[in-house]
Amino acid sequence: MRTVGGARRGLNLWLLQRASAVVVALFIPGFALYAGGRGSFDFAGWRALFAPVGVKVACLLFVAALLVHAWIGLREIFIDYLHAMRVRLPLLFLFAVTYLACLIWAADLLWNVK
Amino acid sequence: MRRPFFLDLRLIRLPVGGWVSILHRVSGAGLSLAVPGLLYLFMLSVRSPEDFARVANCLSGITGRLLLFGMLWGILHHLFAGLRHLGFDLGWGEEKTRARQSAWAVLVLAGALALLITVGER
Repeated sequence: MRTVGGARRGLNLWLLQRASAVVVALFIPGFALYAGGRGSFDFAGWRALFAPVGVKVACLLFVAALLVHAWIGLREIFIDYLHAMRVRLPLLFLFAVTYLACLIWAADLLWNVK
Repeated sequence: MRRPFFLDLRLIRLPVGGWVSILHRVSGAGLSLAVPGLLYLFMLSVRSPEDFARVANCLSGITGRLLLFGMLWGILHHLFAGLRHLGFDLGWGEEKTRARQSAWAVLVLAGALALLITVGER
């Protein structure tokens, strides 16, 4: 039977974890400055934040990087504490599917803010 | 073979870097599980003025504020501890005293900033 995972894959994920971290770490202060510069919000003001297409794209990139980062992080934790493959693999699958759904949901939410 | 191990959490004394590390993991796990819930809150906040008001009301109550503080602390601790680790990857601040100083800085900055934002938010 084929072994699941391997050293090469581990290295790729290690790098991807850092790359996604950089995207998230750049977005959070950037968005805080963008939003904070506009003071306090009512409903219309809050929606207006997400109206420009550039903001939608930046937010969706952020969500994508965050979800990749979260999945790799959970994988690290599962590898450390869940040694039974029949538990670990279904959980990784469950989170992958859930996060993919979250990404599609986030795109729908963002592009519905006119 | 089963090797002997020591895991009495009451007797283990972690150095400050160890605390930052385990809290990085705990905050990361918590935030990972919170993602669908946060997306749900975002959906409410952009859906209608009534739902926007509901979310705003929730966040200004005592439970909401505690949740907000927990969430902010998790985000900030994970962010600062992560930046510290990216620094180590680049070979910055690996020396023992420097590493301890940056560990304390992460703990204090994340806690203080989360508290400031929670109290400052109306």
